[in-house]
Amino acid sequence: MAAFARFVAIRFAAAMATMLLVSLIVFTLMELVPGNCAERYIAYKATQGYVVTDADIRAEEIRMGLDRPYLVRWLDWISGVFFRFQLGESCLWRVDVGQLIGDKLLISLALSGGALILTYLVSVPVGVASAALRGGWLDGSLRILSYLGLALPNFLLALAIMLVSTVWFGDTLTGLFSEEFRDAPWSWARFLDFLSNAWLPIVILGWSAMAIQIQTVRALMSDEQGKLYVTAARARGLSGWRLLMRYPARHALGPVVNSVGFDLNRIFNDLPIVAAVLILTEAGSMLLEALARSNDQQLAGAIILSMTITIVVLNFLTDVLLAIIDPRVRKGFFK
Amino acid sequence: MTLLARLRSRRPMAPAQSKEDYYTASQGQLVWQRFKSNRTARAALYILLFFIFCGIFAPVLSPYDPTAAGRNADYTNGAPQIPQFCDDNGCSWRPFIHGVERYRGADTNFRWVTRQTEDRNYLTFLPAGSDYRLLGLIPMNRHIFGVEDGFIHVFGTDAQGKDIFSRTLHAIGVSIAVGSAGVMISFVLALIIGGVAGYFGGWVDTALQALMDTVKTVPTIPLFMAVAAFIPDTWSAEQRFFFISLVLGLLGWGTLARRIRTHVLAERSADYVLAAQMAGAGPGHVIRRHLLPSFTSYIIVDLVISFPYMVLAETSLSFIGLGLNDPVNSLGVMLQNVTRVDVMLNYHWYFIPVPIFVAIVLAFVFVGDGLRDAADPYAEKR
Repeated sequence: MAAFARFVAIRFAAAMATMLLVSLIVFTLMELVPGNCAERYIAYKATQGYVVTDADIRAEEIRMGLDRPYLVRWLDWISGVFFRFQLGESCLWRVDVGQLIGDKLLISLALSGGALILTYLVSVPVGVASAALRGGWLDGSLRILSYLGLALPNFLLALAIMLVSTVWFGDTLTGLFSEEFRDAPWSWARFLDFLSNAWLPIVILGWSAMAIQIQTVRALMSDEQGKLYVTAARARGLSGWRLLMRYPARHALGPVVNSVGFDLNRIFNDLPIVAAVLILTEAGSMLLEALARSNDQQLAGAIILSMTITIVVLNFLTDVLLAIIDPRVRKGFFK
Repeated sequence: MTLLARLRSRRPMAPAQSKEDYYTASQGQLVWQRFKSNRTARAALYILLFFIFCGIFAPVLSPYDPTAAGRNADYTNGAPQIPQFCDDNGCSWRPFIHGVERYRGADTNFRWVTRQTEDRNYLTFLPAGSDYRLLGLIPMNRHIFGVEDGFIHVFGTDAQGKDIFSRTLHAIGVSIAVGSAGVMISFVLALIIGGVAGYFGGWVDTALQALMDTVKTVPTIPLFMAVAAFIPDTWSAEQRFFFISLVLGLLGWGTLARRIRTHVLAERSADYVLAAQMAGAGPGHVIRRHLLPSFTSYIIVDLVISFPYMVLAETSLSFIGLGLNDPVNSLGVMLQNVTRVDVMLNYHWYFIPVPIFVAIVLAFVFVGDGLRDAADPYAEKR
């Protein structure tokens, strides 16, 4: 038990260190954008007819705390994120970023989580079946499909689906909510409406992760299938699906659980672009908006940081989960 | 044994001569032999070489200038014109297309429409057209095909009347160029970082590993986006091109560096390294002259495999408007406006470049896979 607690503590410390390093990288990137918030605010005021001097800019910088050294501001930002759950103030909208993205971030997480679950629901059974039927037509077509998953990125798939549905059904299938629910507060009806529109983004977001995961599961299962313990189990009379699930599939589980974080990474990767194609109102499209048009570095940094934190947390959880479910690791901790 | 089976079995029979060849063959020859026997990979290689050829000789193969300078103002959003041999008036040996005219009348509600005419416009071989420099050096103005009078648009035209066929050919070249530059930059970085981490080990390795892990945790495309957003609007197309390649390279070294580190780590305690060190060779010399040649083939394979990711990242960035921009053509640039409903409904030829690019990326993936199998000495069945 003590060994397990130590393992969890070490993993937790490592996750924390990763988060700090990531936040430093993101913060540095956002600092490198030419011009700071105060200058841009004052420039905006100048367009409104105010007469603005250099002294005004300095005063505004002091008010925003931008005159402090770089590391102090980073510490301030990161402690705000971790201890007060405040992601800073948006440069453009002049409100707390959390308030601005809270709802949209939840939608993003719901979409990505849905895509992640779909990925595993599809890829594990299909990968196992593909390995079991190695060399058959099913296996062959699945391999072509997973190569396509690499060569046809998600946003091109989204474009293709939109093209087909526009031509045949006259509907572009974009957006997350129907007309009447777009700005309504959350309710059961709005949630159902969200679900009825969200299936397409979820499938598209899961597409390449699914294709690659099928290949991984297939490779792992192919390696395990030929081993002696599987032959022994077969000799004892087990066969078919039952045999596969009880013996080789459990061995192949470890690397699959470990790759959840990478798959979430892959899904987040595609989120902003798929969101732009399908006109989804969520954090990914907001990131694109903040970077490409409004140049709001605080907002963009907050979104990238929250995405990365989600991945780091998930990596930590899967590490701990793996230690609990894998008997080889578990034996080491709980004697 | 049937005749057919006997014929088949004769081919791989190894006479004494070829056995001798086998044992004296260099690593490159062995890899090439194994690669050649993989039919899918070989076909993919030919397709890839064809596309690279298209990219390099795009100015000759494309009938018009791909920028606004070569636009056909009278045929905007025009449908593809397929050369044909026959029409209602009979057949001819020379392929031709029908001419088009701008027309406005009572029957079209006095709106301008483009419609086909009956007169034939014959294809010509090597006509003189816009000036360009072949390979950036040789000034020329001949293009591989064209028509006698006016324009031919095999893939149609876009909203400004630019020829989509010409744009596609140039886009192939640009995408491959951006990919190559990105791969080269990330290769140099990966070589330095991975080599140092693997060779010195200890805390240097730990620190560099932590850095690699962290960079890998951040989703790549959002990170690309954040960096690409720095590009000032005033930059020229060439500056953007170099900056995007640089960004792709600077952020893409993680996986490759890890592979190089593993190889160096595995090899550095080998006897030949120790011998070199005892003979007085410094770390740089040992890495360059002794360690690197021992896994060159793996590095080449990794470079080929990482290529499609670079191309796709560039496409994604350009597509959302943070990468390359208009005068330069790439698949992402060409797809910038296709999400509009009128394009989806009426102008389907905007999507013609998509399958071509999917084919290029697939070709790269298959060649990479084939090379990986060929370079793995344990995969061989003798």
